[in-house]
This record gives sequence, C-alpha cells and structure tokens, in this order.
Amino acid sequence: MPSTLKIKPKRRKAIHKSKSRVPLKQLHRRDGYGSLTSCGKNYMASDTAIGEDEQEELISRDGTDPLSLEATFDQRQGGPQVPDLYTTPPPIKDSLTTDTSISQDNTVQQCLPHLFASGKSLLSVNAHGVPSLEREGHVDFLHDAIENARYIPYDAVRPWVLYWSLTAFSLLGENVETYQQRVVETLSVCQNLSGGFGAGHGQLSHVATSYAAVLSLAIVGGSESLDMIGRRALWRWLGQLKQSDGGFSMCVGGEEDVRGAYCSMTIISLLALPLELPPNAPTRAHGFTSFLDGLPEYLSRCQTFEGGISGRPQSEAHGAYAFCALACLCILGPPHEMLRKYLDLPLLISWLSSRQHAPEGGFSGRTNKLVDGCYSHWVGGCWPLIEAAIKGSQPSALTITPKFGSLYNQEGLIRYILSCCQADDGGMRDKPSTYPDAYHTCYTLAGLSSTQYFSYYNGTRNAEAGYPLDSAFQWGFSKKSPQRDGNEEEELVDAEDMLVSLHPIYVIPWGAVERSHGLFSQKTGF
Amino acid sequence: MGKYSDSEEWEHIIPIPQDDGGPNPLAAIAYTEEYSEAMSYLRAVMAKNEKSDRVLGLTEDIIQMNPAHYTVWLYRADILLELQKNLVQELEWLNTIAIRHHKNFQIWHHRQVIMSHIPTMPSSELSFFARMFAKDAKNYHVWSYRQWLVRRFSLWDSELPYVESLLQSDVRNNSAWNHRWFVVFARHTNPEKHSIKNDDADSRVEPETLEREIEYTKAAILMAPQNQSPWNYLRGVLRKQGKGLEGMKGFAEQFADLEKEDEVRVAMHWTSWLICMPKSKKRNCQARH
Repeated sequence: MPSTLKIKPKRRKAIHKSKSRVPLKQLHRRDGYGSLTSCGKNYMASDTAIGEDEQEELISRDGTDPLSLEATFDQRQGGPQVPDLYTTPPPIKDSLTTDTSISQDNTVQQCLPHLFASGKSLLSVNAHGVPSLEREGHVDFLHDAIENARYIPYDAVRPWVLYWSLTAFSLLGENVETYQQRVVETLSVCQNLSGGFGAGHGQLSHVATSYAAVLSLAIVGGSESLDMIGRRALWRWLGQLKQSDGGFSMCVGGEEDVRGAYCSMTIISLLALPLELPPNAPTRAHGFTSFLDGLPEYLSRCQTFEGGISGRPQSEAHGAYAFCALACLCILGPPHEMLRKYLDLPLLISWLSSRQHAPEGGFSGRTNKLVDGCYSHWVGGCWPLIEAAIKGSQPSALTITPKFGSLYNQEGLIRYILSCCQADDGGMRDKPSTYPDAYHTCYTLAGLSSTQYFSYYNGTRNAEAGYPLDSAFQWGFSKKSPQRDGNEEEELVDAEDMLVSLHPIYVIPWGAVERSHGLFSQKTGF
Repeated sequence: MGKYSDSEEWEHIIPIPQDDGGPNPLAAIAYTEEYSEAMSYLRAVMAKNEKSDRVLGLTEDIIQMNPAHYTVWLYRADILLELQKNLVQELEWLNTIAIRHHKNFQIWHHRQVIMSHIPTMPSSELSFFARMFAKDAKNYHVWSYRQWLVRRFSLWDSELPYVESLLQSDVRNNSAWNHRWFVVFARHTNPEKHSIKNDDADSRVEPETLEREIEYTKAAILMAPQNQSPWNYLRGVLRKQGKGLEGMKGFAEQFADLEKEDEVRVAMHWTSWLICMPKSKKRNCQARH
C-alpha cells in the first residue's frame, strides 16, 4: 500500500507582494505560440526502453519511498501544487524505439522525481513545489571552483573558470571586488605581448579565453583591472582572426565559427577598440577595411533550414551558437533592425520554441537532443533579444505590457533549474544524473536570472555621436512586475531567491558594462 | 628529476617553469610532475620556435596527458607541415586519440588542417567515421568535419546512402537529417553566399529531387509522427519548392482531423504548422485550439 505523503511546505509565504516576482497566472495560461503544449518536444519511446533496474531505482513501489508515483496523488490533495504539465509524460508517444527515444525517456524518468517536489527537497519546497535556491551551497561550491580548478584539462580554460565563477558570484549577489588583485595577477601570465590572452602561462592567444579574461576584469572592476589589457596589441591580434567570409577564427590557425565573431565583437565593443582593421590584417588583401565587413551577412548564412543557427554555414542548428549569433548582431545594431534584416525571425522563433521540453521544462540545444541546464542561458538568453526585436525600442520598462511578458514558458524553466539542476552539495548541473561544475552553475543561474527581469532596448538611433557601436549600451532592465488585473497570485519563486540581473549581450552585471564603456568610449586612440 | 631533465637529448634546453600568476593564483591546477615538466619544456622550445622531431614527440606526450590543450595541437600542426612529415601516419595516430577521447574537439580541427594537405582521401577515412558515430551519432564536431571532407573531396554521390543507413538505425537523429539537407540542397549552394533569409525557392534543384525528398520525408514521418526532425526537413523542402504548407494538408490530416478538437490538440507539429499559414486558415486553427 502506498503511504500517504505529506509535503510540508517550507516558507509557505502565500503572499509576496514584491514587484519582483514572476506572476504565476501569466505563466500558467500560456498555451499558444511558444508554449510547451503546442511546440514542445515530444517523447516517442516506449516504456520498455528503460532498464528494469533503473525503473526500480526511480520508481519504488513499496510505498515508503517519497519518489513513488503514488505519492503525488496525495501531494495534490494537501501539499504543493505541481501542474500536470511538469509531472506527466506527453499524452502521445510513437511506438518506434530508437537511441534518441531511449535517451529522452531516461531523461524524463530521472527528472520526474525531482519535478514532483519529492525526494531530498521534501521539506524545502514552497507552496508550488518549487525548491528554494541553495545559495550557501552554491557560493561554497564556487569558492572551491575559483580557488582550485584541480584537473589538468582545465589548463586549457583557466580564464573561463574565473569568468564562470565571478559571473555566478555576481548573480548570487556576492562581492567580487575582493578578487580584483588576484584576477589581475592570474590573468597577467595569460596575456601575450603579441596581443590577446591564452589559457595560461606560455599558451597561444585564443579569442574565447580573451573574452573570458576581458569580462572577468570588467566584473571585478578597479583601475588596475581593465588598464592591464594591452589594447593596441589586442586590436592587432584580432585583425589576424578576421576571415575573408566575414567571420572570425578562434585563434591564429584555429577553427572559424560563430563563437569567434561574438567573442571578438564583445571585446572590440566593450573596450571601444577601433573598428578599422589593423594594417597587417590578412583580409585587407580581400578588400576588407573594417572588422564589421561581411560580418552580419556571415551570421545570416549560419541560419539553417530548421530556423536555428549553426556554428558555421550549413552545420546543424544549435542553441549555443544561436545565442552567439544573436548577441553579436545586437552588438552591431539595434535588435529590431539587425535581427529582422539578417534573420528569418518567424523560422528562428519556431525553432527556438521547440527547444523547451515538457515535462522537464528545461531547454535542449538541438532538435531531438536532451535538456541541459546550460541552455537555460544559451537558449534562454536568446529570448530577451528576440523579444526586443519584436517590440522595438522601448523608452522605459513602463511601456511593457504583461501580454508581451515572455515567448516561452518561464515556469517550466524555473522548475527545471531549481528542481533538477541543483546538486545536493552545492553547484548546478546539466541534469540530475550529472555532476555540477562552474560552467553549469554560471549558465543555469544566468538563465534563472533572465526569468526574473525584463531586458529591453531603449536606444534612439544616433550614430553620429560617440562610439559607432553604441547599440549594446542602450539597453535597460527592470524587475518583472506582477499581474495588473488586480488578481494577486502566489508567486512561483520566493523573494530571497531573486538573483542579480545581467546584461543580455555581455552576460556580466550591468554596472560592469557601464564601467568599461565609460572608461574606454571617450578615449581617442589607445 | 624527470623524463626530460634526465634526458641527454634535452640537456641544452633550459625549461621555463610554470607561473600561475602571483602569490595566490586563482583556478590553480593540480599539475602532475610529468605534465608540469613537459609543459616547462614546451614553453622553452616554443619561445625559440624550435620545430624538430624531439618537439614533435613532446607534443605527443602532452596531448596524451591533456588532449584539450589547443596550444599544443596548433604547434604540432606547424611542426608536421614544416618538417613535411608523413601526414597519413598522423591520421592513424589521431584515430587512437579520437576514439579514446571521443568528446574532445581540438582533434577535429587538427585533422582538418592535416587533411587539407593530403591530395587524395585515404580509404580508411570513412570507416573511421563509423567508429566515431557508433560512440555518438550526433557528435557536432565530427559532423562538421565530415561536411568539410565531403566538400573537399566531392563525396556527394556516396553520402546519401550513408545518411539513409544512419536514419535507418535512428530516424530521430537530427544531425543525420541536417547532413541529408547538406548533401541534397547545400551542395548546390555557395556557403559563402547563400542564406535562408534571402533564398526561398531554389531553381537549381531538380523538381524530381524535390519530389523524392518529400516522399522520403513523408515515409519517415509515418514511422514516428511525433518526430520533429522530418517535419522540419519537410518544411524546408517545401520552401525550396517555393510552395506553402497547404499542399501537405491532405497528408497531415491523417494525424489529426481538424474537425475534431481533441485530435488537433495532440498532433503537435502539424498544428504548429497551421499557425504559420495564411490568415484565413490561421483563424480557423486558433478557433479550434
């Protein structure tokens, strides 16, 4: 006989009136374009796809296990309310079993016990069955990560570990200024005299590690930080990455893909480097004179027949490359001009909508792949840019109406992040069966933050004044406001689980962007 | 004492020791003595730009310890090309590394650099893919490399049967569907010019080819109607054909009778198509939703 499971909601604060909360009603009733029900991914595997052992592990039938399916029945009577959408496999399944359907089915099975608000989080969920954010655990985890990267493969990504940790610390509201000196000292051995940052001492400059280094320096602030960057050498080195098809390679002699374009343009715009190609840039031979030459056209060619964006023209559409391409376009100009001009927006929105899975609620990176916490940012971060492209310039947050609140199901994403991505001992992960790391901690938290704030473009076209690439600096944000029809709803996430907001293009705190822009945009020359 | 410091071959090289940056470096790595020593020698020879057999051996040593190390891969490629080494032999060595570290992606760029200097494709190259795809049939970097290879050696004609064999084993493999698109349609477009935004109908594709693709895709949909990959593919083919989605109404209605509200609800991909249709039909769809 199944036991009666009583879930005691911790911190059942029924009424949070803070304007910062995500309005539940708004999230619930979305069922049109972009919802889980009409555009969501589907599951086709038969139940036999799951090994018997795994099933036993996940769904114990002895009635004493809080993970048991029966427990949810009682849960719905007295405990937290988790809507069926997040606890029930899709209504129809194809009978054909393949590797893809087996993996998908296994993923749903490993997520369900977490989404049911059961198991370890039994006593730490709110009235909606959403677990609280384990701040202290995540902070401890990040301290450990930034102090000690440990494994030798990290030797190729050390500046990234700094960026992921510092960004995640910032999201959690931790003071990162204390790291200033150590960040400068650590990155000083990564910087090459010939321009750019490598992953470590004696390593070749790479645009991904340079991106991570520049952003880390911007985050910690301080006069020494950004001043340590050899901007003239960096500019010259970036000139060697520019390719004749308009894109950028990752390093001299390295591969070319959309990351190269986004990382390069992030560095160039944030440090206000000249847009003119340095005299030694190889693509001057092809008639290029500017870093911008052929760039939006190149990004346009990376959109695939599916509507998503691939790493290079004709590869498979992928969420991480989609963010890089959209963010890069938004550095080049206002979102409503650039995205509409260079992309088939309806096709992109259609593909992006399909990245959200039900019942998991999280995003996958490609068609028929699995949810992964990191796409909370890579895919989740595309939505504010798309929304800005649809809305156009907004003079202030006040003009944003609730019905334009979101094009995806935010409740689903929030549930996936807080229920499935938090590791028991701190840190965030891809999915329940994986270990946490700094990368996933950074990008799942960034995704969670993006559900808590609106980002909007508020620029007025004025190319004559100031630095020519000014669009990325003309964004604003505000906390999401509750429903305006007077109907107070209980909020999905508790007030203490609010995170700090990040800039939607540079993915660092707003203040860090302003500081850097303020420092360099008025400079003439180096 | 170590492998290099004890070796006569390396006695004139003064290693450049690791500098983690300051007294309290961040994200410091627990290097093994072997790795730390090898890297110290690599820094020293790279500073002198030495390209020799012994450095080639050193890069191999470091790659075995850390295949994610992009600097070593780039330097190794430079040495191989400058010393005019046997590149086919390099590919064989790469196979062992790739199989062991199948998630590593530095390998694939290196392989592409090496292969771009080999005039005819070694016959073993394609069978190597089978081994990689057996481990992960959706490996993004392996697929990107394969596309490059197909273009470089004009392997277009043998690709379609290969894609079909992969779809046969997993009709939901979206990477294989993307590759099918690449082989059938992208082959006729210039990746340096073509964009979806500006090119809907494509006259260079034979009408018979479009028909064949539509029939193939419809058959795939019938195998598993909830599989989104062929629906996306079919939509792409119809765009190439310059026709809308309406022509597929008859085919799609077998999955959901639009007159019955409950059925419309569950035929996910077909109903999401309806949203994209012209206004009159759209209204119809929304009314029933």
